[in-house]
Amino acid sequence: MSLLSSIAYRLNVDLIGKAVLRLSRRRSERALRRRGEPPGPLAPPLFCSPQLKELISRHYLRGRYANGHRPVAWVTSGGPIEHLQALGYFLIYPENHGAVCGIRRTAQELCQVAEEAGFSRDICSYARTDIGSVLSGRTPVGRLPRPDLLVCCTNICQTVLYWYQVLAYHFQVPLVLIDTPFLYRPAEPHAVSYVRQQIEEAIPVMERVARRPLSPARLERVLAESKQAVELWMQVLERGKARPSPILAFDEFIHMAPIVEMRGEPDTTAYYRVLLSELDRRVAAGVGALREERRRLIWDNLPIWYRVRPLSDYLASRGVALVASSYTNAWGELAPLMDPRQPLDSLARVYLHPILNRSTGDKLRTLSRMVQEYQASGVLLHSDRSCKPYSVGQMDQRERLGRELSVPALLLEADHNDPRSFSEEQVASRLEAFLEVVLS
Amino acid sequence: MSPGFDLPSRRDAIHQHKASGKKIAALFPIHYPRALFYAHGLLPVEVWGPPYAQRALAAAHLQAYTCDVVHAGLGFLLSGGLRSVDAIVAPHGCDSLQGLGSILLDFIQPTPPVFPFYLPRAGRDCDAEYFENEIESLSQKLAAVSGCNPSAEELASAVAQDEAADAALLRLWERRAELALDNQALYALSRARGYMPPEEFCARADSAPAAGATPTAAKTVVLSGVIAEPGDLLTLLDRNGVRVGADDTLCLGRRFYPAGRASQPFRRMAERILEGPPDSTRGSSIRERCEHLLSLCRRSGARGVIFRLVKFCEPEQFYLPALRRALEEAGIRSLALETDLATHLDGPSQTRLEAFLEML
Ligand code: SF4
Ligand code: SF4
Repeated sequence: MSLLSSIAYRLNVDLIGKAVLRLSRRRSERALRRRGEPPGPLAPPLFCSPQLKELISRHYLRGRYANGHRPVAWVTSGGPIEHLQALGYFLIYPENHGAVCGIRRTAQELCQVAEEAGFSRDICSYARTDIGSVLSGRTPVGRLPRPDLLVCCTNICQTVLYWYQVLAYHFQVPLVLIDTPFLYRPAEPHAVSYVRQQIEEAIPVMERVARRPLSPARLERVLAESKQAVELWMQVLERGKARPSPILAFDEFIHMAPIVEMRGEPDTTAYYRVLLSELDRRVAAGVGALREERRRLIWDNLPIWYRVRPLSDYLASRGVALVASSYTNAWGELAPLMDPRQPLDSLARVYLHPILNRSTGDKLRTLSRMVQEYQASGVLLHSDRSCKPYSVGQMDQRERLGRELSVPALLLEADHNDPRSFSEEQVASRLEAFLEVVLS
Repeated sequence: MSPGFDLPSRRDAIHQHKASGKKIAALFPIHYPRALFYAHGLLPVEVWGPPYAQRALAAAHLQAYTCDVVHAGLGFLLSGGLRSVDAIVAPHGCDSLQGLGSILLDFIQPTPPVFPFYLPRAGRDCDAEYFENEIESLSQKLAAVSGCNPSAEELASAVAQDEAADAALLRLWERRAELALDNQALYALSRARGYMPPEEFCARADSAPAAGATPTAAKTVVLSGVIAEPGDLLTLLDRNGVRVGADDTLCLGRRFYPAGRASQPFRRMAERILEGPPDSTRGSSIRERCEHLLSLCRRSGARGVIFRLVKFCEPEQFYLPALRRALEEAGIRSLALETDLATHLDGPSQTRLEAFLEML
């Protein structure tokens, strides 16, 4: 830690940044209140949205000044972060940053930087976005802090392992691997103890890089905070079961940022409490996210980040509410497995069981359950060219949903971050034909 | 020059084994403990493609952006190509193979039982311990097919056979410069390790003829990437007097496993795979792969490296830029050829390959 960096951090983040962001939030809240009922099929945006913006902006602002003040770890989205949080690390999730680049439409240009450096256009567009950002230094969030440590967990895919090897080679920093055996069937005891052992062995590395010992009391606090945030997030998602639904999966894609990259922090828990109470007010007043909810659908796979708004508008114009997604559900469904009093055992189970680490049959069961619980009349399966672990299996899942549950499902070919793999006409005509069936 | 090399085909090996009343296990890529199958009396036969498989059948289950190895493998299975096998094993090698194993188990459910298993991605003690347990668990499941539970002695003897066959394969490649085998013959023999019983393979490999005096090939290259196919690739090298001096392909060189150390057979099987040459699918670092590739070039005197890639193969694609840069810095040229598992090399690839060979 350097004194100068700490002074810069305190000044720019805790004093100036905090005040500026608070002011901008207040302004947005006032504007939202003044705006009243917007025209069109969508209900007014959630009033807590400016608070979310403040939370995320503050996160990236902290990141901008983190080097020299706090240890920095870059972590995969499914990675175990509770020990890192307890050790005071500032965390960057390259996938979340990739999503920000996707939403802000800078992902394509960053992907092209990576491609010019020799990376194939066929590799995951999150990885290309990140590598492009690392190589060019360009990012819509100002500046990303350099990592002191990389933590890669294979519970979402193997791609992250190759990607983090590229990062480790580039930054020349230690890479901690938490390898999570894929669950073709229920986890065998040796798989659980393998993950547990790896988390245990990672702790001294994390401590060495952070230059401080882990405090068990602090870890327990972070875990409890993390569990609370995950439970609250799950409750937020479950509000989508109400008719009409007070929230759309499109909103969830945006509101999920804190649960991915800031869980374990009290601000995140506080934010989800606010969001939840706003949704509860909507439910009590019978206010839906759509003015008229004619049909309800479930989304599978990552969002198409650069098309979130147009897709949301299009479905809304047809009275179709996307009430849940297997993607946002993934960050909430494992809450019951978390036990702050048994950190290692419970974390090993949690990090072994995300949807992407479970079989294609298990994913079908999750989708089927969601169709029933959310009373949906169909499923949109985003066949994501970039993400093989999420997408392979969807063709059979679509067939089974139709055959066994009589639920129509549509496979939408796209890519979550690279607009060059998105055909507007093809998607529009397939969606149109699908909605005719769903709305009939 | 290729001596009349009378190798039994994969089909012959299967028939012969079946005729003696024994059983066959079909194995998808990449890493798996062959010794375990020998101990169960099963002949492990690898399924890497094949190039002529009916991919259209697989298109009902796999999106177009899944690699061709997986497409061809599933197409082959669905067209009845694995009808005569008694078990299918789907090792976890990458995201695409994970998907294949999972849809086989959950949706396609072919008649022979399917056994998946997971390969850990590092070489730490905890990985070896996990892998040992995973192999033991696979062994218990295989018992339902083989009808036996091999004893510790039987397992140890199978490990010894397996290690002997791998050592023979390694010796073969160490003798590469003096062998009277052209590239096609050498690869046919090496790949026979993927279906021949180990003792037969040893005899074949050890009796591969030497040319007498060390033949001087005009040019030497290292072959890297996924697989030494299509055959045209090797023919073209042979025609141009270019020798593959060392192999770093996923299908061959990255499975030159060393002998194990542990006395416990399952542990030893695990150790051997985890200690194999650097490989992205086993989580090796880029530095390790660069160093290994450079050392293969140095040892074989290669002036160029040909990366034979398969479209959508992420384990290869992520490492490629750094590997090529390291080679360039060492003054070694490289060429990346990306094609499907076709039976023939397409025109543009052929032209690029010829131009590359001329430059060496
Ligand atoms: S392959 Fe899929 S799970 Fe993996 S990083 Fe890319 S989008 Fe995420
Ligand atoms: S070619 Fe690559 S992507 Fe395909 S099965 Fe082999 S390692 Fe996996």
